Amino acid sequence: MSPRLFLHVLSLEARKSMSYRVDFWLNTIVGFAISVGYVTFLWLSIYAQSGEEFVEGFTLPGLILYYVLIFLIARIVTGNSQSGIVSGEIYEGRYTKFLLYPTRYLPFKYAENLGSLVPSLIQAVVFGFVALTLIHAPGVNNMTAGTLAMAVVSVAMASVLLFLLFVPLQGVAFWADNVWSLYVMLRMVCAFLGGQMLPLSLFPDWAQTVLAWTPFPYLFYVPTQVALGNLGPLEWARGLVMAGVWCAVMAGVIRAVWMRGERRYTGVGI
Amino acid sequence: MITVNELRKSFFVHKKAPGFWGSVKSLVRREQIEKEAVRGVSFEIGEGEIVGLLGANGAGKTTVVKMLAGIIHPSGGEARVLGHVPHERDDRFRSQIALIMGQKAQLWWDLPAADCFLLLKEIYRIPDERFRENLDHLTDVLGVHDYLNVQVRRLSLGERMKMELIAALLHDPRVVFLDEPTIGLDLSAQRAIREFLTEYQQTRRPATILTSHYMEDIEHLCRRIIIIREGELVYDGLLEDVMRTYAPRKVVTATLAEGADGRVAEAGLGELGEVTDAGGGRVRLLMARSDVARNAARLMDVLPVIDLTIEEPDVGQVIENIMTARRS
Repeated sequence: MSPRLFLHVLSLEARKSMSYRVDFWLNTIVGFAISVGYVTFLWLSIYAQSGEEFVEGFTLPGLILYYVLIFLIARIVTGNSQSGIVSGEIYEGRYTKFLLYPTRYLPFKYAENLGSLVPSLIQAVVFGFVALTLIHAPGVNNMTAGTLAMAVVSVAMASVLLFLLFVPLQGVAFWADNVWSLYVMLRMVCAFLGGQMLPLSLFPDWAQTVLAWTPFPYLFYVPTQVALGNLGPLEWARGLVMAGVWCAVMAGVIRAVWMRGERRYTGVGI
Repeated sequence: MITVNELRKSFFVHKKAPGFWGSVKSLVRREQIEKEAVRGVSFEIGEGEIVGLLGANGAGKTTVVKMLAGIIHPSGGEARVLGHVPHERDDRFRSQIALIMGQKAQLWWDLPAADCFLLLKEIYRIPDERFRENLDHLTDVLGVHDYLNVQVRRLSLGERMKMELIAALLHDPRVVFLDEPTIGLDLSAQRAIREFLTEYQQTRRPATILTSHYMEDIEHLCRRIIIIREGELVYDGLLEDVMRTYAPRKVVTATLAEGADGRVAEAGLGELGEVTDAGGGRVRLLMARSDVARNAARLMDVLPVIDLTIEEPDVGQVIENIMTARRS
């Protein structure tokens, strides 16, 4: 796929994602408020019950800042990867047109995914700035321009990794009529093991050791901790290498799934 | 440009017993049955030729088109389009073909048609000048210039189909597959698209396969037809020859002078042909094509005929009979 076509698709999708004003604002404000709201109330009651200022090294403002950042980063990393677009196109036969075009399907879909990120990027800038101004969390927030720059690289790598993680699962649509339940399950696994529900540092040591060999921490948790300045350059680089290895593994899996899947594709609907 | 040799396609479909227990059992074990959709079809199509591919629903014509466009893999036999094996989907092959599906939108629903065309320009890497020239020509001929900036989902079915045609033809394909291009359109939109396709075929001369359930499309656009029945090719030849081969009799209708109905029974019409209708001052017979002149003259001798018409049977009906006849 030519870089020119990639950028064209990205720009079209970006314009499309901003053309639905109601969806843009509802998604921006309501979605974010609910996500941050429920963890805030949950942890408020946990801190009140415990009577402690620190829970596993986190103060309450520090924990809330962590959640704000990880939600924003998760939105950027996720884009539309989890929306089932690929499986829908296979199931409904809309994949047919991509078999006819002289271009590659998955880079096309990834360009669309990046284009759909524009609202999330705007959210990240606005809410991130507000959160960092309002929430003072010494010990949790060690952010600098350098850690932010490193986090941008981690987020970019995580975005590719998440996309590649979901594609083979969506490719199951070549065989099964309904793959929705499968990727809802993977979404929950990614959210839980990616640190979106609970900081991974609160997991038992053995679980953290095992998780470090899986792709999940490198999706949301590591980029968030890198942004906050809680991981050094060595851990940052290790995260990138692990994410890169998993990207290569998933690329192999996708190739195998697609080679077999396309042989079964029947192009329903025409 | 298109060569098909003993092409075959089988599908495996799940069979599920009806009812609640059938659904429960299917969770554990499902029976698969093999369905042969295309059984050894062979034909060739040359440059500039437009061929009507006809068959009843489920006969296998769309499956053939899908295999030739590279959408599905054949189970056996061979197909070559422009020298390429379609299912290998080489970019050089895909840059030279187009598939227009009347029942499936290919344009991006949320975008104006103009944006879709610009995207296709990038996908097919069409040079600026050629893109502008082709777009201007196609929008002028189809009369859709005013709708270019309207979102595709807001267009009427006829306008959308015209935009689909433009999208498919912008890159000057050398092979065009038209799958039901006029389905669901009103009569004037059908006519506009037929006229456009006639003009396009004459000026650009792609090899074209047209499937349609509308006989007007076939009669207007195709000299040659291929009929597929239950996956097998049963006819490949000129449309006009179908009538000679499969309709050996013509329809002769005579309007009789007043009071002549009573003479029909004794006129011995059975010797002239098969009487299909008699009464109300009129008789209708099916007469052998080779004897029609002599027998029509004899009919006028034995009955007081005041008007006589000799017609071909309805071509659509003849083809439908071929398409739906059971395999022996």
